[in-house]
Amino acid sequence: MERQEIIDGLVEILKTVRTIDQDKLVAVTEETDFIADLNTPSTEMINIAAKAEQKFDVEFEDDDIDGLGSTVKDIVDLILRTKERA
Amino acid sequence: MQVPGRKVAVVGMGGAFPTCSDLKDFSNKLFSDQSLIREWDKATAYGKNIRSSVSGFITEAEMGLEPIYSTLVENYPETYIDKLNRIPDANLATADIGSIWAMLGAQEAIAMAGWSDAETQSEGTGVVVGSGGGGHEILRNAWHSFFHHKKKTRLVGSHAVDRAMVYRDAANVSCLIKNKGVCESIGSACATGLGNIGYAYRLISFGLQDRAIAGGVEGTSLETFIGFDAMQVLSRGFSPEESSRPFDLQRNGFVCSFGGGIVALEEYELAKARGADIIAVIDNYFNNSDGDGDMFAPSFSGQQRLWKGLMAGSGQKPDVVKVHGTSTPAGDAIELLSVVDALGHDGYHISAPKSQFGHMLGAAGAVEFITALLMLKHQKVLPCLNSAHLNPEQESFQKSGHWFGPFEPLAAFRDLIPQNSFSKEINHIACLNYGFGGTNSAISISREL
Repeated sequence: MERQEIIDGLVEILKTVRTIDQDKLVAVTEETDFIADLNTPSTEMINIAAKAEQKFDVEFEDDDIDGLGSTVKDIVDLILRTKERA
Repeated sequence: MQVPGRKVAVVGMGGAFPTCSDLKDFSNKLFSDQSLIREWDKATAYGKNIRSSVSGFITEAEMGLEPIYSTLVENYPETYIDKLNRIPDANLATADIGSIWAMLGAQEAIAMAGWSDAETQSEGTGVVVGSGGGGHEILRNAWHSFFHHKKKTRLVGSHAVDRAMVYRDAANVSCLIKNKGVCESIGSACATGLGNIGYAYRLISFGLQDRAIAGGVEGTSLETFIGFDAMQVLSRGFSPEESSRPFDLQRNGFVCSFGGGIVALEEYELAKARGADIIAVIDNYFNNSDGDGDMFAPSFSGQQRLWKGLMAGSGQKPDVVKVHGTSTPAGDAIELLSVVDALGHDGYHISAPKSQFGHMLGAAGAVEFITALLMLKHQKVLPCLNSAHLNPEQESFQKSGHWFGPFEPLAAFRDLIPQNSFSKEINHIACLNYGFGGTNSAISISREL
C-alpha cells in the first residue's frame, strides 16, 4: 500500500471528525501534526486510531497506540509496520 | 442558612417539549387542553415484548438534530449534528441527547434573562441540572460492543464517559456557557427536576451564588422506558391522549415521557436593578423523606410534613397547586388527600400537567415548574385532562383504621380538579414532586406585582 493512499484514507477519516476544522484538510501532508496543526482535541485521537484500524484492516497493539506520535507520518508508519507484521 | 431579605427571582426559561417547536408552541398547546402523548413506534416495534406503547417522546429531528452513527459499533450514535447551528460541534461531541436539550434550554433561558456574557461567565453563576438517567443507547451499545461482541474498548471512542456520567447535563451546560461558579447535579428520581431548582434557589438565597441555570432533563430513551414497563406501572389500554388520567377512577399507570426544563434564577435585587422581566419570585423550597423504609409507596405523613415545611416559609395559601399527579392508583389518592389536609376543601385549584404530557421522570419537576410559570404569566389554570370520574367511594386505606387523613372519597373534591383550562387570578402557586426512595419536594412561587 502506497503512503499517499494511506494519507488520503486518513483524510477521509478526518472528514468524519466534526471537531476538526475541515478547511485545514486540503493541505494534509506527512508532516501535518494532528494536534498542533489541525487542533484535533486529544480525546479524538483514539477515535481516529480506531477508525484507521477499520479502514486499513489492521489491529494495532496497545503498546503501539500508547507510544503513537501526533503526526500523520507517525500513524502512516504504524499502519505499514502493522501490515508487515501480519 | 438563608440570608435575611435575600430573595430569588425566576428570569428565564427554556427546554424541550414533546411535539412542540418551542416554548410558545408548548404554552399554546397546554392552554388549549391538548395532549402531547403519542403512540411510540420505537416501542410498538417490539410487539408483545413491551407492555405499554404510549409516550410523550421527542425525536432527534423534532429538535433539529441528526445522529451520526459510528462505523465501528452498531447503533452507536457517535455524535449529533445541530442542523440549526445552535451548539458548537465540540460541545455536541461530549453530549448525549439529554445534555443537548439541557444546553439548548440553557441558551433559551439565558437569552430570556438577558444576562451579559460577563454575568453568565462569572464566579457568581452556577449550573445545577440533573436527570433521572435510567440508561440510554450510548451506554447500551458501548457495553454491548465490549461484553457481547467481545470488541476492543477503544471502538466506542473516548466519549462514553462524558456522555454518560451522572452529572453530564450540568457539565455540558457549564462547558457551553463557561460559568465559573458551582456545577453540580442533584439526583432524586422523579423529584430530580424540582430538586435541582430547589438546590439552586438555596445557593442563591444562602448567598453562595448570584445566578443559576437550573433544571432537569430526561432524553428520549427506550432503555429507560423498558425499566418502568417491566415494573407494570405504565398506563395501558387507552388511546394515547387518554392514557394519562390523574385522579380518574380508571387510571392504571403513568405515561413514561421525556423532555427538558431549564430556568434562569437570579438574586432578586440584582434582577430588579438591571430591569429584568421577573417571571416569578420563589417564596420557599422544602424537601424531606418519608422515613418509613418503603422505596415506592407514597406516604401521607411524609407529605403532611412536606406541606408544613413549605408553608412555614411563607404561610401563603396557593391559588393553584401543581401536583405530581402521575396517574398511578396509589400515588394520586394519597397526594390529593394530603393537599386537602393541608389547604382545606376550597379556595384553590389543582393542576396536573402530566395529564397533558405524561411523566418526564428526571425532567418532570423542572418542566412542570415551567408550566407553573406559564400559569402565573397567563393567569390561567392548566387542567387535569381525563379526570372524568373520581372515586365516589372511600379508598381502601381510608377504611383501614390506621388512616388519619380526610375520610371523604376523592369525588368529594371534584370542584378542585378542572378538566379544562380556565382563567382566574393567580398570585401564588405551589409545586409538588415525589420520587422513588420516599423523597418529597415542594416549591412555592409568587407573581411579581
